[in-house]
Amino acid sequence: MDEKTRELLRELQNGFKLETRPFLRIANKLGYSENQVLQTIKDCIEEGIIRRIGAAVRPEKMGHSCNALVVWQVAADKIDEVGNDAAGYREISHCYERECPPNWPYNFFTMIHAKTDEELKEIIQQIAQKHELSNYKVYATEQELKKTSMRYFPEESDGNDK
Amino acid sequence: MDEKDREILQMLQGRFPLDSEPYTKIGDKLWMDEVSVISRIARMIENGTIRYVGPFFDSRKLGYTGCLAAINVPEAEIEKAAEVINQFAEVTHNYQRKGEPNIWFTVIASSEARREEIFSQIKSETGVKEILKFPAKKLFKVKVDLD
Repeated sequence: MDEKTRELLRELQNGFKLETRPFLRIANKLGYSENQVLQTIKDCIEEGIIRRIGAAVRPEKMGHSCNALVVWQVAADKIDEVGNDAAGYREISHCYERECPPNWPYNFFTMIHAKTDEELKEIIQQIAQKHELSNYKVYATEQELKKTSMRYFPEESDGNDK
Repeated sequence: MDEKDREILQMLQGRFPLDSEPYTKIGDKLWMDEVSVISRIARMIENGTIRYVGPFFDSRKLGYTGCLAAINVPEAEIEKAAEVINQFAEVTHNYQRKGEPNIWFTVIASSEARREEIFSQIKSETGVKEILKFPAKKLFKVKVDLD
């Protein structure tokens, strides 16, 4: 990635301004045309550097106040089946197979956002029953201690990392 | 938050228009004018429902290495531990959870060496015996898409 692209992506991660032509502002600031900015974003999506464009929301502000990390023990040959099914739930935002430390049997992680305790339990039970998972653990969210977006493309390390 | 807000949020979460006038485009799809779209988004940012509108990067594609980690500390030391953990810009999420371990956080570092450096500093400054590390093996989904 060249320095000009890095500079643009660094600018974009400040978030889009709420104005008629947010990309034009960025283009003018960095000496691009508006089209070049849009094209670069599209290219980065194509290359997978950008996963998606859009909003980050706070689930608890949307009435999803019963949030829990649920960790499951899933056999290796069932991971894809369970993973794809869990990913289909709107209430599940994060869904990963993870490497585990010794003495930790739970290799599948789901972050569930429900509106009520009942709903949370229902989702957990549905998944458990459907895939015959009996060994899992619920870590209810007690308190958010930090939530930010990562700042990529730091200026001081220009050219050093890839 | 009313039905219109929800419709806007849905579009913002999934289908942000890559267009020179994105908010007009959103308005066109939802039968609203641009001014209403922008003022509704502004209100949702102000009340904290939306915390960011922009691109989401794939940290791995950028050469970063991420890891979920957890430690267990006594209830009375949670605040202090949170302070230690949160001092790092590379820590993006940190939650207190019920059960053991009770503090769960994510680290996104520019190298594995840097990641381990952060872990060992957290370990020594909090005094915990161990940090449980759960690096991702396979991603099935990462997307908050609620209504």
